[in-house]
Amino acid sequence: MADLNEGRHDLRRSSARFIAFGVAAALLFSVLGFRLFQMQILNGALYTQRAAAARTAEVPIPAARGLIFDRSGRPIAVNVPSWVVKARPADLPQATSAPVLRRLAALIGADAAAMQRRYDAFKGSPYDLVPLMNVGRDAALLVGERSEDFPGIVIEVDAQRRYLDEKGATDGSLLSHAVGYTGPISETELADLADKGYLPDDPIGRDGVEASYETELRGTYGSQLVERDASGRTTKVIDTLREPTAGKNLMLTIDARTQRLATDALEWGMKAVGVQEGVTIVMNPQTGEILAMVSLPAYDNNKFATGISAKDYQAYLAQAGKPLRNHAIADTYPPGSTFKLATALGALESGTTTPTRKWPTYGCYQIPGAPKGQCLFDWNHAGFGPLDVTDAFAISSDTFFYQMAINQGIDQLGDAAASLGFGKPTGIRLPGEADGIVASTEWARRNGRASLFTGELAQAGIGQNVIAVTPLQLLNAYAALANGGKLMRPMIVRGETDASGKLVKPYEPEVLGQLIASPADQKVLRLAARDVITSGHAYNIRDLKLPGALSGKTGTAEFGDLTKNKTLPFHSWFVAYLPSKAGSTDADLEVLTFSYSATVPGNVSTEVVKYFLQKYYNLDQDLRLDPETFALVARNQN
Amino acid sequence: MGTVTSTFVENVRANTWRLFDWQLFLYVLLLIGFGVVMGYSAGYGDAGALGMSQTVKTLIWTSIGLTIFFVAASLDYHWLTTFTVPLYLGVLALLAITMAIGTSLFGAQMSVTVAGLDFQFSEVCKVLMIVIIASFLTGRRERIGRLSTIVGAGVLMAIPTGLVFLQPDLGTALVFVAILAGMLFMSGASIGWLGVLTGAAIASAPLAIDTFLHGYQRQRLFCFLDPQADPLGACYQLIQSLNAVGSGGWFGQGLTAGGLNRSGFLPVQSTDFIFTVVAEELGFVGGLLVLVLFALLIWRIMVIAWAAGDGLGSMVAIGLASMILFQLLVNVGMVIGIMPVTGIPLPFVTYGGSSMISLLFGMGILQSVRMHSRRPSF
Repeated sequence: MADLNEGRHDLRRSSARFIAFGVAAALLFSVLGFRLFQMQILNGALYTQRAAAARTAEVPIPAARGLIFDRSGRPIAVNVPSWVVKARPADLPQATSAPVLRRLAALIGADAAAMQRRYDAFKGSPYDLVPLMNVGRDAALLVGERSEDFPGIVIEVDAQRRYLDEKGATDGSLLSHAVGYTGPISETELADLADKGYLPDDPIGRDGVEASYETELRGTYGSQLVERDASGRTTKVIDTLREPTAGKNLMLTIDARTQRLATDALEWGMKAVGVQEGVTIVMNPQTGEILAMVSLPAYDNNKFATGISAKDYQAYLAQAGKPLRNHAIADTYPPGSTFKLATALGALESGTTTPTRKWPTYGCYQIPGAPKGQCLFDWNHAGFGPLDVTDAFAISSDTFFYQMAINQGIDQLGDAAASLGFGKPTGIRLPGEADGIVASTEWARRNGRASLFTGELAQAGIGQNVIAVTPLQLLNAYAALANGGKLMRPMIVRGETDASGKLVKPYEPEVLGQLIASPADQKVLRLAARDVITSGHAYNIRDLKLPGALSGKTGTAEFGDLTKNKTLPFHSWFVAYLPSKAGSTDADLEVLTFSYSATVPGNVSTEVVKYFLQKYYNLDQDLRLDPETFALVARNQN
Repeated sequence: MGTVTSTFVENVRANTWRLFDWQLFLYVLLLIGFGVVMGYSAGYGDAGALGMSQTVKTLIWTSIGLTIFFVAASLDYHWLTTFTVPLYLGVLALLAITMAIGTSLFGAQMSVTVAGLDFQFSEVCKVLMIVIIASFLTGRRERIGRLSTIVGAGVLMAIPTGLVFLQPDLGTALVFVAILAGMLFMSGASIGWLGVLTGAAIASAPLAIDTFLHGYQRQRLFCFLDPQADPLGACYQLIQSLNAVGSGGWFGQGLTAGGLNRSGFLPVQSTDFIFTVVAEELGFVGGLLVLVLFALLIWRIMVIAWAAGDGLGSMVAIGLASMILFQLLVNVGMVIGIMPVTGIPLPFVTYGGSSMISLLFGMGILQSVRMHSRRPSF
């Protein structure tokens, strides 16, 4: 240790280096001080603004989605609170998201991988909220209590749709095809709709009225300026920048009770004959208002509103009868004899026949110009002797209408069909309506031929082979006959209501066109349709004690492959209209039933309509026949 | 203890306490007080009791630290040099233990938990290395201008630096390098060689950064050049800090009322980003006050270095000044966006027991240098 005391040999104290050190230190303090001055005083406003921006956010105020009521004011689609776990990427950066989501999943017993996938898939602004999972109230509270543990995770109460039946029970299947459902907006939709104020976690109408009246139902979102903390919780609302405008409440033209009766009747009929696809539509032919629209099998739109599981969705896709499709408007079928309305009107309008002119009918009608022996059968394989158009319509003679089709020609028949609304959508405001097919010269050319074969033209005359319609098109065509010649736009929404379901702004019925046939010719067909009930093909339906005269038309159309019994399966149709109140002459209730692919001798659709009318008018009669045996299903009460 | 007591008594008899540097002590206490207040404010409102319990802990650590300070002050600092070799081995052992059984903090093995308390041994090793390097340099006083002096000191420092770097604690490793640089420069080492080595270090820095730094470390390092490069990832903390500092204005938003601090936007407020809270809540005036206190502290340390009775005392003072200056530059520079983001505490102000005890230990040695400057102890 001695050396330490030898001061003169100690390290030399260099004043130059001390000065250098001092200068360096002074420089350091100056730089820090100046930078502080620059940031806080010179550029303070900029940083203050940025700090405020980090703490404040302009957040949208969702508008309440409009409610949907039935025509009696029963709530059908309502909003209920639902708790959603969401992430704000600005506060939960990618790098730190995995452990947070894992802890979150462990706490609420959710699938961490699924949440991570949704988080990773999100491509919007980091200040937007990414919905990760719908949770129950308890899980929401649990996460809320421990929000410090989950930076960037936010629990929001979102409104969710709930669909009700006519009794107010949570059962969407009664009206799912008409009402549709809401679901989260997809990324591609968002790209198109972001300009209209849609947000990444917004619901959007997916089917039915929810989709087609999306604009009315959604309303306009407002916005507010809020202060939030680092975990994204709103600590204070600073200012409301724009008040939201709630969506419009809508009233369906459908009456939920009528819908229930129609559903019950159709379900009975389908079960009776073992068919898997069926449609019943009830309409006011004077206005085009749809009073019931049943497409079976149905689906439960509540499953979609709460986020359908992949398993349930696959089950719907795999189910026979395609429950997700609204067969009333989205699918087309050969109309069979019901199409004779178009053939008859075309024949009368063109002068091919007169109301009184009789035409021979045949067991098998020789196709003109075709080799001898190529003939088309009447349905009884015998013929009915000479018939005028009224009787031929009532009896539904096929060979009569072959002649009518061939003699008026394809263009005239096409015009008549078009004036009845066939071959193009009816214009009902529902998504997914099909066009249907009406054979025409142009149609033949599209298929590579100069024109139709004569045989095809003949079959077109009885609604087979080259004619396809949606059930709603057919109903609407008969509505035009029933109401005196106006082709209406079928209505699904009656108007706008207040919050209690009282109609405040009715929508006006819309006339799309007039039938080409003269009022006199239409009257001929109305009488013929009445004859169908009184003397024709509709069995005992004439015995129902209805408030007014029932008119209608049956139809069957064979298709497909031979069954075990060497018969073809066939679609059956029945469309009928009547004045709904005693003393009235205007038909203002019209029912159509269509059932797909029956193999029984009877027309089950007629039985379904019969059953519906019995229930609708609360008749103390039960005239239903078993479509297999034509025996009464139940002992008549009287 | 006997030695300590007798030394204390001797000191009193010799009236060395007359030379106690009250200014140095005052600045240190003011900085600690500042740290306590800001730590309280930073933690204020975070789940109730947390803010207070941290304040209480800081006060406890400070009490322990002050005891060590007075003990160290009363001992003749030359006493430390009598066992530099065991001290050095001790440093290496402490750092090796940290590596082996350290508690993971943000993925780095930086502290060891003893009886429920976390010790960051690298903190006390900084002070010990200052003593060891000072001892080494004074031992080479005859050959101080040679390259071998620089190489020797460099090797001595390189081992603990490497161990700290591997924890990985880049910030503390850089503090070791800064201490060495400051002490070599002031010891009279060859300016030429120092210049050459500094040049070589700067030239090889890009390569070293690519080779030795983890991806995330690298990203954070470069945020200060362009914070918008990754505003929500690596640079998020820095951006929030800049916004908070910038919105402080002249007088700040008031204690416990800083907007970003209060809303939880500032990361690890009470530790590395404490100066951000000072700047946001007390404004330019508060920030400047901290800088002025540090400037006064450095001034006092340099006065002690100049007036030290021998090279050893002078070198210890220089080492402590270099350490405090560098930590100040990097910590404050980080939160105001002119330095890379590295986890270096702000001396005295940042909450942390190991840092507090080590610094007060260092200040105690410094007082000892001051008190024994006129009269060599033997």
